[in-house]
Amino acid sequence: MSPWGYLLFTGWAALAAVLVEGGWLAGLALVEVACGLLWNRAGLRVLRQPHFWAFVLAAVAVGPFLIGEPDVTWGPLHLSRAGLLAGLEMAGRAFVLMLALSLGAASLSLSDVVAVFDRLGLRGLGFAVALALNLLGTLQEMATVVLQTLWLRGGTRRPVLALRLFLITTVANLLRYGDEAVNAAAVRAFDPHKRQSVPLPLRQADLWLLLLLAGCTGVLLAAHVV
Amino acid sequence: MSSYSVRSWVTIGLFGALWTVVEMTLGSYLHVIFPPQANTFLAGVVLGGLGVAVALTGRHFVPERGSVFLIGVVTALLKLLSPGGVRLGPSVAILVEGALMEAVLWLAWRPRRWAFVAGGALAVGWNLPHKFIMMRLLYGQGVLEVYTKMVQEGSRMLGLAPSAAWLILAILLLVYLIVGAIGGWGAWKLGGAVARRLGRRDLAASEVSR
Repeated sequence: MSPWGYLLFTGWAALAAVLVEGGWLAGLALVEVACGLLWNRAGLRVLRQPHFWAFVLAAVAVGPFLIGEPDVTWGPLHLSRAGLLAGLEMAGRAFVLMLALSLGAASLSLSDVVAVFDRLGLRGLGFAVALALNLLGTLQEMATVVLQTLWLRGGTRRPVLALRLFLITTVANLLRYGDEAVNAAAVRAFDPHKRQSVPLPLRQADLWLLLLLAGCTGVLLAAHVV
Repeated sequence: MSSYSVRSWVTIGLFGALWTVVEMTLGSYLHVIFPPQANTFLAGVVLGGLGVAVALTGRHFVPERGSVFLIGVVTALLKLLSPGGVRLGPSVAILVEGALMEAVLWLAWRPRRWAFVAGGALAVGWNLPHKFIMMRLLYGQGVLEVYTKMVQEGSRMLGLAPSAAWLILAILLLVYLIVGAIGGWGAWKLGGAVARRLGRRDLAASEVSR
């Protein structure tokens, strides 16, 4: 599938997560899990993270206590059935929304994002994102070297001055890297205003996805009308 | 964005990367050091303050309009696409912080010290409502009822008036705003100091000359 397909799915799933209610959220979750199993299991990795479940299940845990009037007594606890249902719905909505975004982010690589920016006429932004990603490790290394140098030269004795020197040196070094990157871009005749003809065609799988999503939307609309 | 040169885009990428490095390294430390309850507030204050300082320092070296917002866009994308998993909340917060700083700089027309301070304060101040707005977006309408009940029950348990919750929120907001203002002021000073050392145009000097 092309990046357009992934973007379409993510947008559709996020919109549906906000619009659908009740048991339909479970259906939407099933569609998302099925799509994740089909094309990118890395996107489902979020389901193995404890903090994801803690966030989702928090709504189920507090719902019976804080929403609606208590109508069930369970030992010392006074619970609300309406609150439990509302909590389940809140948890379901959080689940499908976070899973949709996780699938989208896991399916799109950085080169996909840069290519999409190129096609949208935002070539400079794609270039900036790619440059930033490539420089992350270098920047971390550079900041560590500056910090250790200041430390070895007695920076701990005058911490305010050391902090000032650290910040100035880090930003100055950053801009020096910038000069090198500008030179490298000039050597390659990079022009942020020129539209590059990077092909990013729709694929057959995108069409199938479009049909599937149209079908799902139809079912949801029909159920809403009925 | 037609006025942006290659150097502008490079500088935007560099400051976006620096903001991401701050988020990734310091953010990881903060999440380990502080318990989850303190984390939401402390991490927001520290990372927000440093983030606005980085982005506004970048404005010194990319004098075009929209550059601070674009630094935020680069950072948010890197955060969203980072291998550690999707972090929707921080990515949205970074985007909104960038937009708020840019809006204040846009209103000020030309870079001024007060615009940096106000932009920084507003951007970090966003971290307080952000949590509630994201919860509302993710959980839906029901979360409002949960908030109301939690404030009522909490104030009853602590023997405080429910209005005390507003006071606590106001104090928290004040802390955010002060830290953001310091971040903006620090960015103004830092950008100027680096620009002078590198022999580049200093925004503070141009502000005085006007």
